[in-house]
Amino acid sequence: MRNWILPENISDVLPREARQIEAMRRGILDLFGRYGYELVMPPLVEYVESLFVNDDPALDLKTFKLVDELTGRQMGLRADITPQVARIDAHILNRQGVTRLCYTGSVVNTRPDGILSTREPRQIGAELYGCADIAADVEVIELMFESLALAGLGQVRLDIGHIGLFHALADAAGLNGEARDEVFLALQQKDLPTLRSATARLDPAIAQGLTALPTLYGNVDVIGRARASLPALPAVVAALDALAQLGDALAARGIAIRFDLAEVRSSDYHTGLVFAAYAPGFANAVARGGRYDSVGEKFGRSRPATGFSLDLREMTRLPFPAAKPAILAPAGEAPGLLAAIRALRAAGETVVVDLGVDPAEAGCDRRLVGGQGDWRVEALA
Amino acid sequence: MITIALSKGRIFEETLPLLAAAGVVPAEAPESSRKLIIGTNRDDVRLIIVRASDVPTYVQYGAADLGVAGRDVLIEHGGAGLYQPLDLEIAKCRLMVAVQNGFDYQGAVQQGARLRVATKYTDQAREHFAAKGVHVDLIKLYGSMELAPLVGLADAIVDLVSTGGTLKANDLVAVEHIRDISSRLIVNQAALKLKEEQIQPMIDAFAGAIGH
Repeated sequence: MRNWILPENISDVLPREARQIEAMRRGILDLFGRYGYELVMPPLVEYVESLFVNDDPALDLKTFKLVDELTGRQMGLRADITPQVARIDAHILNRQGVTRLCYTGSVVNTRPDGILSTREPRQIGAELYGCADIAADVEVIELMFESLALAGLGQVRLDIGHIGLFHALADAAGLNGEARDEVFLALQQKDLPTLRSATARLDPAIAQGLTALPTLYGNVDVIGRARASLPALPAVVAALDALAQLGDALAARGIAIRFDLAEVRSSDYHTGLVFAAYAPGFANAVARGGRYDSVGEKFGRSRPATGFSLDLREMTRLPFPAAKPAILAPAGEAPGLLAAIRALRAAGETVVVDLGVDPAEAGCDRRLVGGQGDWRVEALA
Repeated sequence: MITIALSKGRIFEETLPLLAAAGVVPAEAPESSRKLIIGTNRDDVRLIIVRASDVPTYVQYGAADLGVAGRDVLIEHGGAGLYQPLDLEIAKCRLMVAVQNGFDYQGAVQQGARLRVATKYTDQAREHFAAKGVHVDLIKLYGSMELAPLVGLADAIVDLVSTGGTLKANDLVAVEHIRDISSRLIVNQAALKLKEEQIQPMIDAFAGAIGH
């Protein structure tokens, strides 16, 4: 039996990737800190009831479950940290004003998002609670851009959508259950043929609006086209106003965006604006986020909320500088040796004591030589 | 560079006029050249030739930006990561239930007994019979489904029927229509966002050619 084989879509993080992930993690957490986001560390496992917000069958399916032997209740391994942080804001911190929280950690998925995706993404993200204004979304998106730039993704394409559009139209049409799911899925896939047949028996204005959504993507004139082709329901108008306002605010910060009004894809808990960043060479979005204003309700306190997250492991596909070469030092307690090693390490050098290492494997390009209290560094042949 | 995934045969032949409408003419015919990557008259467009059932996979992972795939294949694949903006109305056929001539299908279905069904399209067969409230044992086959009822491997088959010639030649009759099948244009989601300037005109040209 090959007992060292790991399960499907589960892998070790080896030195090169680990170094990159750790450097990005530190850089991004420091960035969050400079914006006033406080780090929290929710648990790996908790009762399933608090892991899912609202009815989230997709997240439920993605969550590994086990039975708590202390209580007999069902626990889940977190598949997404965002609901945990919402729980902390709503029920644990109980602050009245705006709360900014950030987090990082592994999440585990029962099924990979795609054949090539890991089942153990390393999620990092930031969430802003207590502010319903567009300014909160702008800050979160700005932070997402800076995080991606830190990871080495300077060129990304930002797509913005609004889930409220679909819900407003579906509510107006009285779509429920399977019919609503079918339209939702068709929108997700910009599947116009299915969308046409699924909406054929609805009110013509609503049906026209739903079938127009997949064609409403592109630059800022999408908003104008949307106002012309979507029925002027109050929720629709509000959503379009929010999108236009967000577009202006981001343009003022030099962030170029695209609108995709059929973007209904993020997690089931999203309720309003949703956004996703795409980058050349990545077949999926590299970062995602959006508004989930009603999430705290389940935890006893509904608060406006917006945030984003990304998977650090995905980012290891970006180039990353090699580790700084190390210095090989002899083992033992020769006079002056320990002090010389300590001084080099204090100066930021990596010093590897020779306990039988292969200098190339250990990444050494120099060595510490000398004796009798006189030590110097020379190049390794 | 835009990469379009196509399968040999009917889909390739019937996609040619649509490609022409988008100003794309393949440099070679896949049947004669045996090459898997085929250049076109446009430097920025190439075709890759893959198995029909692999087209959604190539597009989902961004190995191809666009592709043409039958609805049968797309439903089995699930469509994750894909946009499917156009029904190209090519390579049309029907997904049907067929049994050996003389087999009492209605009786077998009503009896409440389990039906043995051989098919390549397990997801669609499972869903079809579940909606009817019929329990089935599915036998996954990769080809020559028509043989299964004749040799006692299955009571019925779920397969694509275009002219019905193969069924007839093997003494089978179609007893139930599951859905009409035609081919869709599929697009990688990230590609549409990142290469919109190149891909959108192509979608528009295809749409124009089929009269949408």
